[in-house]
Amino acid sequence: MRSTSRTREKVKIQPPMTSMIDIIFQLLIFFMLMPSFQSHEGYLTTNLPKDQGPNPRPPEILERIKIELLDEGNEGEGVSIVLNDTQSLGDNFEGLRAALEGYRAQGLQPTHPILISPTMAVRHKWVVKAFDAAVTARFTSIHFAVPR
Amino acid sequence: MARVIKAKRRGDVGFNMTPMIDIIFLLIIFFMLVSQFQQLEIEDVVLPEAVAAKVMDYSQYRNIVINIIKGKTSSLDAVVKVMGREMNVLQPYTRPDGSQTVGGELTAYLVDAASKGDKANLNVILRADEDVPYEDVARVMLAAGAAGIEGWWITTKIPESEQK
Repeated sequence: MRSTSRTREKVKIQPPMTSMIDIIFQLLIFFMLMPSFQSHEGYLTTNLPKDQGPNPRPPEILERIKIELLDEGNEGEGVSIVLNDTQSLGDNFEGLRAALEGYRAQGLQPTHPILISPTMAVRHKWVVKAFDAAVTARFTSIHFAVPR
Repeated sequence: MARVIKAKRRGDVGFNMTPMIDIIFLLIIFFMLVSQFQQLEIEDVVLPEAVAAKVMDYSQYRNIVINIIKGKTSSLDAVVKVMGREMNVLQPYTRPDGSQTVGGELTAYLVDAASKGDKANLNVILRADEDVPYEDVARVMLAAGAAGIEGWWITTKIPESEQK
């Protein structure tokens, strides 16, 4: 009986653990690293401003919705929004979005042109926020003005 | 012949495939990740957030990524980088016909890129730091406009609340 059990122990087949552990570690590292490489970045598509030379044509205020962004504070830390030269919204981008959605509710088409006109020192993040508000209000024809 | 066959059976010489497969997998993963980053030549910038931003497939286009990096001391000395190369956008660009326009080196680079292949397939991606002034962004936009490029993508960060 003893000799039989010894023989059984000798021929006991084991799966090759080394290679399995190798592959498992590789997969572990791969899936640990992958989330950090997913950057959660998105894109807003737009049209470029056109250089109109030294004597630019005056903007057609009546035709398009004009969003002016004025820099406030040190190096444009803050911002002030003026809609269509009349409506001052401070730095309330939610208010801007609501106003633009109001225009849409009044029957303006998504293709109605919007002009974002920031001053030179306005920071990029405020310009993107204004752009974001216009896209959220489902406008599609959004343009940028040459800075003043 | 019989001897040779016997010797082979006894020695059982063969390649050890396990470490080879290990290394091949490692290399595949490495090159997959590296090629993803090389394709876009991105710089480390803090992107502005936008709720309406969409994740888009850029692989079908000829992409040119223009990075605008915030200056070290102030937001006023921003740097424009394309494919790891710093570009001057303050100088004028002289067209082949002798007339001048804006954009300097960047316009020259974009004109060259546009002439090398299908212009309609050219995609300009802007990656600007959230704190750079619009003045710098507009200069880059005007340079692209001077090169005859009309539309482009502005890279933004999708807020955590919008991430799926």
